[in-house]
Amino acid sequence: MDSRLANTWRLTVNERKFIETALLSGIRIDGRNPYEYRKLSIKFGRQVLAHSHTCIEDGSSEVQLGQTHVMGFVTCQLLQPYRDRPNEGTLSIFTEFSPMADPSFEPGRPGESAVELGRIIDRGLRNLVDAANIAALAALLTFRRPECSLGGEDGQEVILHPPEEREPLPLIVHHIPIAVTFGFFSSESIMVIDPTHHEEAVMAGRMTATLNANGDVCAIQKPGGEGVLQSVIMQCLRLASRTAGDITKKINDAVEAYKTEQAVSKIKRHPASITLEGIGSGGNVKGKQNLSFEHKGVSELSRNLMERSKLASEGSCASQNDGEGETKLSELSGNKRDGGSTNLVGGPTSWDPYSKGVDSDFLKASLASRVKVAPEKKPDSVGERKPTELKPEEPPEDNKSASMKIEASEAGLRKDGPKTLKDAVKPKHKRKKKASAVANKS
Amino acid sequence: MEAKASTSPASFVDKIVVPGDVVLDLSSFTNQTIKLGGGLRQDCDAISVMKAGKLQFSKPNKYWVESSQKRYVPCTEDTVLGIVVDCKADNFIVDIKGPATAFLPVLAFEGGTRRNIPKFEVGALIYVRVVKANPGMNPELSCTDASGKAVEFGLLKDGFMFETSTGLSRMLRSSPTCPVLEELGKQLSFEIAVGLNGRVWLNADSPSTVVVVSNAIMNSESLSEVQQKIMVEKLLQRIK
Repeated sequence: MDSRLANTWRLTVNERKFIETALLSGIRIDGRNPYEYRKLSIKFGRQVLAHSHTCIEDGSSEVQLGQTHVMGFVTCQLLQPYRDRPNEGTLSIFTEFSPMADPSFEPGRPGESAVELGRIIDRGLRNLVDAANIAALAALLTFRRPECSLGGEDGQEVILHPPEEREPLPLIVHHIPIAVTFGFFSSESIMVIDPTHHEEAVMAGRMTATLNANGDVCAIQKPGGEGVLQSVIMQCLRLASRTAGDITKKINDAVEAYKTEQAVSKIKRHPASITLEGIGSGGNVKGKQNLSFEHKGVSELSRNLMERSKLASEGSCASQNDGEGETKLSELSGNKRDGGSTNLVGGPTSWDPYSKGVDSDFLKASLASRVKVAPEKKPDSVGERKPTELKPEEPPEDNKSASMKIEASEAGLRKDGPKTLKDAVKPKHKRKKKASAVANKS
Repeated sequence: MEAKASTSPASFVDKIVVPGDVVLDLSSFTNQTIKLGGGLRQDCDAISVMKAGKLQFSKPNKYWVESSQKRYVPCTEDTVLGIVVDCKADNFIVDIKGPATAFLPVLAFEGGTRRNIPKFEVGALIYVRVVKANPGMNPELSCTDASGKAVEFGLLKDGFMFETSTGLSRMLRSSPTCPVLEELGKQLSFEIAVGLNGRVWLNADSPSTVVVVSNAIMNSESLSEVQQKIMVEKLLQRIK
């Protein structure tokens, strides 16, 4: 009891008074304006665990918001889906407050605030909320799950492809909800954005608004405390939507930077993946089939890239893959259990948020450098090696072409097909975009 | 005697030591008393280190290990800033950032009797001296100096308190005034109380001064003396 008493953080009367009087003249103890956000920095995978070479690369993030640090880490697991939702996976969030961070964090069972934070990532203490939310988003955005497909004799076996064999797929993220916390102080006019630990101890009420960059309100959490006027809430939401835009931009920039960095570093990793593939495909008939199929796709693709016309390349790629693409597509759509949403529904939108921007330079960079590197290393077996070496790059493009196909075929089906929840959620402009994309292509 | 030169105190003083290092061998001290401070412990004839830090030696016979950390280990004769947690009949219970709360006897004030017990509300900030710090016991505090005078001990009114590491608070108390305070003091007027437990109390006429000074102090933790001066100059230019 005594040690517990000593470990709790206490606010002195002096601090309480000072924070309130300083706020009356618009001063915050860390020198910010009342409506100013703390400094945000985001790091990913390699940067977080600098020497780790294995699976920790994707889907981990470290976010620093002022002095609040949050590490996010995404893992996946192949599970049987719920019977009533056969084509959807589940997403659960676990939180942990390390006792190393603060003496008031006890090891063992997650405390009340840990549970609150974990339940929905927009509730919590010490303004972990905002930082944890960003960490989770950043980690999810860079996470890629291993591809899986149905195989075996009766077509019922699930095959998990190791990352060396097929490039892991990114998750489908429709939009990025950003949590912004406001603190209200006893005299009603005082409101601050992103309160610090001290301010949280003093303030009379708190409200967390979760918005995306388009200004859509996803959630609002107002856990007790003082009542707030409607006009104040509207003001908060305006401020929050502005902040959400800024943060979304920061997250996307960080994700882009990380992906290009990863694409560059991929070249170095190559020799290892070659050997692994050699072993893998030796015993696996299916692997060989994929190989030849993908080889075709690649040669076609590289030719098209030379022409510098992206639309054309995608179109021809889709047509070239027609026969095999079809079967593969059905495999894919039948099997995605873990991704949260399936190809059938979410496929077309996987296009939208950011994948489009990445892979053009990603592919160019990787293809260009490949051509340079390969002949130097193995001058006598260029012809044989090339397909295998190109292989790791291929699947995303391949899959994309598949999803393009779905998009095309879905466009007709969707109109009268049964609507799901996903359809209701999707913002209008995305559909317009998609429609125009289809129009462009045809 | 010469063979033991490597374990003689001179070789370890002002050096970085880690837990387990044996810094002194008492068998070579025949009729000499030494005083051990925080981070050192005696195993028969060997004095070994319990925490990582720098071994310090003060002229006649005092040895201790100095390190910078966010948790405070009470040590006698330290002056600290405490927060009153509870008022009992005989003691105030005070949080001094240590592993256990400390006791401040109600009579440990200048001229303290049963009649004139001061009234502290819960959450009051007081400047106190550690009198006893024995392992297994709650530390005992006093609001007087060794001769029973109140000097500057007691309640701190208004102002703002923030927490730093113990290393920074020791730097703020160093005897040629540390560059941050020196530079800030040339242009701003403020009142400061630094406890060895890493708590710093500040007061000034305007809240903005307090915010500037507190942030300058917190930023100076990892800076060299010259960097501290530059940082403060830049800061003062910006707020003008």
